[in-house]
Amino acid sequence: MLDFMDNVQNAFYEASHWNLDNSYGALNATARALLDFQTPKGLRLQISSLAAPNFATSYTLGNVGVVDGSVSYLYSSLPLHRKLKSSELDLHHVVRGYRHLQELRKPDEDWWWEIWHSGTRIDRRDTLLYGRIFLPQSRLEALYLRRLTPTRQLRVSAVSDSALNNGGTILTLLQNDTGKYSTEYLYSTDSALMGVRGLYNFGADPRVAPTNPVTTQQTSEIVHGRFSAGAELYYGLLNKSGGISTGLRFTTLPDHTGFPYTMTLTLNPLMGNLSSTYAVKAGHNLALCSRFDFNFYSYESELQLGCELWRRRRSSTDVEWAVNKIRPDWKQATSTPDDDVSGILKARVDQDWRIGLLWEGRIKELLFTLGASLDLRKREQVFRAVGIELQYSS
Amino acid sequence: MAFNFNWSPLIADTSRARDMLTTALNKSPKPPIIVDDIIVTELNLGSTPPELEILEIGDLAEDRFRGIFKMSYTGDAFLTLKTKVQANPLNTYLSTKPDFASPMPLAASSGLTIPLQITLSDIRLSGFVILVFSKQKGITLVFRNDPLESLKVSSTFDSIPFVRDYLQKVIEEQLRVLFMDDLPAIIHRLSLRLFVPEFQELETETEERLDGSHDTTAPIDPLLTPPQDAIDSFGNPIDVSQLTALSLDPTSEMHASFSKSNILRLAALSESQRTLSLFTPGIQEAVFRAWANNADQPNSGAATPALTQSSLSRIQSTFGSIRSHASSVASGSTGQETYSSRPTIVSNYSAPAGLSLGANRGTRGQMRKRKKRVVDLRRNKEGAESSGVSTEASTPLQSTSVSETASSVIPEEREKEEALAIPPKSASESHFPSKAAHENLNVGGEPSRLMEQSASADGLLPAAPLLADAPKLSRPKQKAAAVSAVPIYLHEPSEQDQLQHQQQQQHNQYQRSSSSSRPPLSRNRLRPTQQATSPLLRSLSFDKVTSLSSAAAANSKFPSSPPYAESTSSSSGGILEQAWMMKMASEIARKVQVEERKRREGGSQGNERRGRGGKEARAATTGGIWTAEEEDAPPPAYVA
Repeated sequence: MLDFMDNVQNAFYEASHWNLDNSYGALNATARALLDFQTPKGLRLQISSLAAPNFATSYTLGNVGVVDGSVSYLYSSLPLHRKLKSSELDLHHVVRGYRHLQELRKPDEDWWWEIWHSGTRIDRRDTLLYGRIFLPQSRLEALYLRRLTPTRQLRVSAVSDSALNNGGTILTLLQNDTGKYSTEYLYSTDSALMGVRGLYNFGADPRVAPTNPVTTQQTSEIVHGRFSAGAELYYGLLNKSGGISTGLRFTTLPDHTGFPYTMTLTLNPLMGNLSSTYAVKAGHNLALCSRFDFNFYSYESELQLGCELWRRRRSSTDVEWAVNKIRPDWKQATSTPDDDVSGILKARVDQDWRIGLLWEGRIKELLFTLGASLDLRKREQVFRAVGIELQYSS
Repeated sequence: MAFNFNWSPLIADTSRARDMLTTALNKSPKPPIIVDDIIVTELNLGSTPPELEILEIGDLAEDRFRGIFKMSYTGDAFLTLKTKVQANPLNTYLSTKPDFASPMPLAASSGLTIPLQITLSDIRLSGFVILVFSKQKGITLVFRNDPLESLKVSSTFDSIPFVRDYLQKVIEEQLRVLFMDDLPAIIHRLSLRLFVPEFQELETETEERLDGSHDTTAPIDPLLTPPQDAIDSFGNPIDVSQLTALSLDPTSEMHASFSKSNILRLAALSESQRTLSLFTPGIQEAVFRAWANNADQPNSGAATPALTQSSLSRIQSTFGSIRSHASSVASGSTGQETYSSRPTIVSNYSAPAGLSLGANRGTRGQMRKRKKRVVDLRRNKEGAESSGVSTEASTPLQSTSVSETASSVIPEEREKEEALAIPPKSASESHFPSKAAHENLNVGGEPSRLMEQSASADGLLPAAPLLADAPKLSRPKQKAAAVSAVPIYLHEPSEQDQLQHQQQQQHNQYQRSSSSSRPPLSRNRLRPTQQATSPLLRSLSFDKVTSLSSAAAANSKFPSSPPYAESTSSSSGGILEQAWMMKMASEIARKVQVEERKRREGGSQGNERRGRGGKEARAATTGGIWTAEEEDAPPPAYVA
């Protein structure tokens, strides 16, 4: 389940019209959400609050090690209006699962952001500041996020920890997203790593609105999916080593009539690694994903399977017939979304019979995450880690 | 004089050495680039033996040897390792970095593991080697300096200069650690396997125990501190050197005779007395007794510790650890001695630890210092015994642990007395049965010894001859006390009771000390222990302990049946005397604390052993004066 602060940051992206999915780094976000989810370890409690639309705090207490915890604060110059109370937030916002990509939207015009007051521009760039300190370790995380223009964003993240080389590391990331393509430039102080990432979306350019009236033939031919290609390149100046990868993705768009699905193929030509994923949303409540890795230098291969299942409560049988009769839009009358969700099950298994299980959901006003990772090969110690996380936010 | 080094048999079978090298290499945390275990596939010692030049021979006999060599090796030995490495630098780089500021590459960091074969050859060594050999304790080999001069690393990646240099650097570092730390341990284990047949059976037991040894509550048997067992139980290089250090005192020869089978037999013997069984196992060529009455050697109490109570208690504690249930019950019967005698055990153990500290890289100067310390002791013995501390110092080297005990007990005891508000304190003790067992078995020993000392400081009597002897006089009283104490604690102890009890306890202590410091009694106590020819068949102390424990077992609902009440039955000490004793005790405690602080400031450098368990650590801190000196004790090889 997504951390409260991550949820707030996503709310900031949403409020400032930044498309997180249109980045090469998010090319296989669906597969990662379904296959690489973290299972909690031990007990962790989180109490958080969006005290004001611009200010959020969060406190975490865990028992990894002895007792550890963290305190975090977040300030956003942009008022955030997403529902963040644990009793009423949308579970789809905090449970990462199959990512259903939306149609690309045209980026904001520069002048949309301008606010004039008595002849002078008074608008400010949207900024987000975030800090988090982990207490026994005295580790500090800081984030500075600034929307420079409607198509550009600067993200500076830093970690200060005496256990790290040079006492910490800073990563600067400059992102451009025009809809049709996106580019990212990054620099990390650690070994002076520099990187470039780019993603190009084939198909219509969202910036150019179709001027000709759409004919009936065109509507029947309309593509219900999007094809994207990207690449990344890294080079560490100090250790003179680098990395490269390219990737392709095809995903269906909301107007696709069949099952939504996503396919990706990534290739690391330097290391000879080829990875393909296929994820399908097989129903309203079920998503399946598989990934196959192959290394054509070492001939090592790996297969992972995962699924996500939303379990909903049955409404009582005596009113069920009535619920079925009413119009679909009337169903939305309930005050909180996903009120009938009793839990979300995520599971993954790989060819070595390592299994990860996650059960997430909401009880009353608490969000819980229960997880375990198992290794069936090791008979004497099947449970590798078990944990529970509780979140409350107001 | 000539030595004949036979190199060829060493070449023959290296499989065992290979296994040990494999475990040694995988022990330390590996750099992230190595993603699999390091396996030693081939080990060849080559046909050229190392050149050895004898610099000094400290000790030479048929079954033991101690000497220093200058070694240089330019032979053709080689070693082949196999492992898997992560070939993607981005992967290893990111694996050590926090996620928050990570660039999170999509696939650029995907891993590529490559099997790697490394051959180490052209090894050039030169250095000073300290070699200690004893038939009983195997071979101890320590490098005084870093012996590795150069070596050639050839690997699968020789064509890539960056990787080659990196491997060369990393492997040289690892090898240095291997030579300085792991190799001595390996050689010692191998030699033990060769020379000491008992070691093999013990080792299997040890390996089981090793898992539990990280536990702070893991039992540390005082019996096992003598050389052979100490090594066996933990297989630590420090123990190895400690062993040679201990071999200096004649006591170790005695302890060496406590083989495992003997201990088992003794355990069975004493166990048979805890039950109603009439069976008494016979031990060949031995007479089971604890009291002797011959007064032939009035001054030798300290010099013959082998048969003193402490050694007896060692025997018992061993079987105590074997059968911990019974002893846990018995622990209740010891009362305050439980606390005060615990540091005894610990310091018994820690004293050798201190000795061994400097062993690996000591210098001659330290050796001299140590010798001097022994001289100091003797001088003190003759000289003033006006202060408690100096009386402690007056015990000869062999009983160092005993005197340490005395010094360390004081602060401990005082604290404990304060913390002792609740009578059934041994309820918590009994969770650690074997510990409790030691405590039990030292019944009446150390604490009253301490009191003897302080009493002697009072001028009542010169303490030195008494030191190594346990005041068994208090035992009969204890027995009576235990019996009487049980009914006392049958009713719920109220706060007043507790207070009373505390007072009693203090009182009792002083009284016992005063009574035990009466010269004739203590003499009587002391001498018998040194006599091997006594016809008594049964140890009175055993008798006492067993009867106590059985009493306690009968009343196991009241695990603590403390003998505190004893004081009421014994002669009462004057208030003045009591006050004086308090003062003395606090004085001694203060001195010990000062010493301890001094030591802490000085000797906080890498005492590996101290970190091993809470108990030992505590022992080191409560060790008092002696641990301070012993920390920079010379290597065994130097102490001729």
